Amino acid sequence: MSTLKLDNISYHYEKNSAEVLDNLSMDFESGKIYTIVGKSGAGKTTLLSVLSSLARPTDGKIFLNEEDVAKIDRYKFRSKYVGVIFQNFNLLTHLTALENVVLSMDISGKKFDRPKKEIAAELLEKVGLSPDEAKRRVLKLSGGQQQRVAIARALSYDPDIILADEPTGNLDGETQDEIINIFRMLADEGKCVIIVTHSPDVAKASDVQYELKKGKRV
Amino acid sequence: MYIVKNAFKSITRNKLRNILIGVIVLIISVSACVSLSIQQAAEVAKEDTLSNLSVTAQISFDRKKAMEDMQQKSTSDDSDSGSDKSFDRGKFDFDVLQGSSLTLDDYMKYTKALKNGDSYYYSGAVSLNATGDLLPYGTSEEDESDSSSSSKSSDNKSSGNSSDKNSQTPPNMPSGDSSNSNNSGGGPMGGMPFQVNQGDFTITGYSSYDAMLSMFGEDGSYKISDGEMFDETSEAYECVISNELATYNNLKVGDTIKLANPQYEKETYKLKIVGIYTNSDSSSEEDNRFKMNDPANNIYMNYNAFSKIIAASEKADNKTTDSDGNKTSAALSENLAFTYKFASVENYEKFADKVYDLGLSDDYKVSSSDLQSYENSLTPLETLSGTAMWFFFIVLAVGGIILITLNIFNLRERKYEVGVLTAIGMKKAKVAMQFVTEIFIVTFIALIIGTSVGAAVSVPVTNTLLQNQISSSQQSDSKVSKNFGFENSDNNGRPQGGPGMSGGEMNPFGKSTKAADYVDSVSSATNFMVILELVLVGLFLTIVASLAALISIMRYEPLKILSNRS
Ligand SMILES: Nc1ncnc2c1ncn2[C@@H]1O[C@H](COP(=O)(O)OP(=O)(O)OP(=O)(O)O)[C@@H](O)[C@H]1O
Ligand SMILES: [Mg+2]
Repeated sequence: MSTLKLDNISYHYEKNSAEVLDNLSMDFESGKIYTIVGKSGAGKTTLLSVLSSLARPTDGKIFLNEEDVAKIDRYKFRSKYVGVIFQNFNLLTHLTALENVVLSMDISGKKFDRPKKEIAAELLEKVGLSPDEAKRRVLKLSGGQQQRVAIARALSYDPDIILADEPTGNLDGETQDEIINIFRMLADEGKCVIIVTHSPDVAKASDVQYELKKGKRV
Repeated sequence: MYIVKNAFKSITRNKLRNILIGVIVLIISVSACVSLSIQQAAEVAKEDTLSNLSVTAQISFDRKKAMEDMQQKSTSDDSDSGSDKSFDRGKFDFDVLQGSSLTLDDYMKYTKALKNGDSYYYSGAVSLNATGDLLPYGTSEEDESDSSSSSKSSDNKSSGNSSDKNSQTPPNMPSGDSSNSNNSGGGPMGGMPFQVNQGDFTITGYSSYDAMLSMFGEDGSYKISDGEMFDETSEAYECVISNELATYNNLKVGDTIKLANPQYEKETYKLKIVGIYTNSDSSSEEDNRFKMNDPANNIYMNYNAFSKIIAASEKADNKTTDSDGNKTSAALSENLAFTYKFASVENYEKFADKVYDLGLSDDYKVSSSDLQSYENSLTPLETLSGTAMWFFFIVLAVGGIILITLNIFNLRERKYEVGVLTAIGMKKAKVAMQFVTEIFIVTFIALIIGTSVGAAVSVPVTNTLLQNQISSSQQSDSKVSKNFGFENSDNNGRPQGGPGMSGGEMNPFGKSTKAADYVDSVSSATNFMVILELVLVGLFLTIVASLAALISIMRYEPLKILSNRS
């Protein structure tokens, strides 16, 4: 059963500029980890933007469980269905790690069986942040710590699809393994995990690998 | 609900920025509160004064207009003789400038223009001489300014009597002769449309007690100390006289005094004293050159009886002979003062229009000194209120511009925040709502503080500003007064007789003495109305300040913001 399906997707940023994504067709199923690899500038981040509805494909369609994503409210899609770990984190730096996570949970509008703060604190601990660090402003956290806050935030509201743009780029090998374990757990829970990575270790740990080259699938 | 929570968090996170906005709103709201309060105070004062105001009006000959008409006529007549616009004194027609006096019938005719609740009253005044033993108060040279001296020797009294009497109107000689100098000058009465023969007493007949309210009413200084007021309706020859006059002549209630026509001594009238009044306003400062101007020599009676005297005098048809041998009528002629009283200013204004339809000539004008002084009394407060209004709008405009600017800068700083929030799925409208909530909270906290401060200071500030306003307008007033030669503002040549004497045009410089009548303080300024207006000010500021935020948030695209950033 296919969770997310790309059907001949094309994308370009400015009018009349070259296609950044060129006629892409891909299938992403739940319960599996996908990795997307490719050279810098191949269009990996752009592909995640299109997948997360931050950008609408200029051509082609995306289906979520057979439903045209273009017909789903993009804010609802982003806040509920997908969790995005941005390449540059996109955290609110003047908020604490905990506040960042809780904010996403607030925005999702989902109901939680326990207090949001409790869930958020647990998640942060799971990705390797101490309670002290969780209460610190993101501004005062290291790159790796920030990356872990971004991961916790993407998981906090329990989305069906996880999009991660180089989630382990700033992490040491040991932490990277822990994160991969988390992703594996999520996939086992039935989520669809899509990871953009340059790391062969991460790629090796995935179920399916896609390679991009100048916006095309190799 | 998390939007409000986040708004509060965001405010506390950005303390400096919000304090800055708060201070600006605080300044605006204090200024707005004070200036709105001033305007409100002016409004309240106006209504208060107006509701207590009894509008009275007189119809008087418009001498200014007559003068202008005459001047115009004379220049147009001279038009062929050259362009010389100088006024030919020979053509100065005093009769025209006097105007013909309106009769009681005329005045009564115009009462048809009155509305429900309006009323009218009138009084006639005439000057009569003393006869026999009766002496006008203030006759003796020695006790001119001392009222207690009536108990001095009777010698003094009688000698004073005879000498004064001789100089005034020699006995056994018809008055109005060459020796009767009182008749010529007119003195302070010159401005009257009537030539009143100067006698010893001023007899005033009142149509009703209403007409005497300014003297015997709540604010008046007159009081019946012995006996009682004459009957309002009776036609009996009854009068009330002053305490001074009674003491001076040893008169009691029940006595009768005999008065004579100053132009024809043999024509006499007997009045029974039914009451004696005291006037707590001392008469010592009065202009005593003419005894009839001394309030002590005012005799009051009702108009019915008074008009009988006038009618009788007319019937007697006595004649005087002047130095050229011309015979002129010596009949008493009354100086009629007719007052219309209105229930409202509106009624007065309608009346002032309607009388002309009822046949009043354009040469007459309807004027209300109450309304004039009412308007004058509010001038400083209204000037202040007008200034306050401009101040309010300027503060609001400048404050609004500062807030908009601040918020535009603010938003540039927060662009990334907007990008992140929308990227993780927060709707733009909600982001905008959070930002507006932040502005709203800061604005209203500052507004509440500002209103409290403004309300606390508005009364003293209003009163201080009002005092400044009054003293500056008084300065210009007293300068005018000085320029006209009235060094002593207490007495600028206005006849000080009873209201019956002040019929026609009053002292045109009366304004300078009115300074004390200005509304010079307010007791409460900030009321519910002001607070309501301030809430509107707060909403206005919030909307103005949010506008920039709303517009730019709606235009932001998260992908663009975030990719620009990275
Ligand atoms: N906002 C943008 N406007 C215009 N062009 C863009 C924009 N973002 C990316 N591009 C272009 O699109 C192409 C693909 O960029 P993208 O960020 O998807 O690469 P990437 O595969 O993620 O590279 P990296 O591995 O370095 O992150 C690049 O050539 C880039 O210059
Ligand atoms: Mg990238």
